[in-house]
Amino acid sequence: MADRATFETDALQYAPQLYSAALRMTRNPADAEDVVQETFLKAYRAFDTFEAGTNLKAWLYRILTNTYINRYRKQQRRPSEVELGELQDIYLYRRLGEVSGATPSAEESVLDQFIDSDIKDAMESLPEHFLLPVYYADVEGFSYKEIAEILDIPIGTVMSRLHRGRKALQKKLWHLAEEHGMTGTGS
Amino acid sequence: MSQRDCDHAVEYIYQYLDRQVTWRRKVKIRRHLQRCGYCGGAYAFEEHLIEVVSRRCRDEPPPELIDRLRTLIREQEPGSTPG
Repeated sequence: MADRATFETDALQYAPQLYSAALRMTRNPADAEDVVQETFLKAYRAFDTFEAGTNLKAWLYRILTNTYINRYRKQQRRPSEVELGELQDIYLYRRLGEVSGATPSAEESVLDQFIDSDIKDAMESLPEHFLLPVYYADVEGFSYKEIAEILDIPIGTVMSRLHRGRKALQKKLWHLAEEHGMTGTGS
Repeated sequence: MSQRDCDHAVEYIYQYLDRQVTWRRKVKIRRHLQRCGYCGGAYAFEEHLIEVVSRRCRDEPPPELIDRLRTLIREQEPGSTPG
């Protein structure tokens, strides 16, 4: 059992990360602040149920996720299912390989041309069931097991959503790369 | 080296990069990556992409938010005057 007196020092250090995650989910700074505030309020009140010494960061993310879902799921702000068709594995690598031909490591150099807003836009374009696992794995570095606990879904579901979500992210990045003329096709 | 080895490497690319494959599978994939330029390139690319995503996806919160959270927490503490 955790002591409420240590909550401020223990939990507040995660506020910037939680805000960043909330901003990707809500795509709106005011909403993100609301979600983070509600998260901290709920976390403080439930802190005596948190087992000291276990994963506080994952515990806070679980509250954040539930807060976001309860507030915003009803609004259906994103398409619930992205029309992906059958996206190929290593989608972006393949697409870039097709246009760059034989130039070695040309694919990788494209990655360094993406700016922050490209990556954020691509992430925010994902439906929530892809956004959350991809963000938690790639930005927060949570393990499959931690993501399964945060989202309350089986590990197998985490793996398949992560896999499909990363492909969807790559498809969006491919479109952005084309738009910005980064693919060398002159489009 | 066969197409089957390439298919295997691509199928397990994320589990490998996320360090969720068995030791045996890891050895098998690593051996393939040393011989196959295409798959080696794919693994390097995906790893680089994940690194770019993790680096370029964060925002700093407004400083007032942290102050507001601190105040909020202190208001909840027993003995503080209800607002």
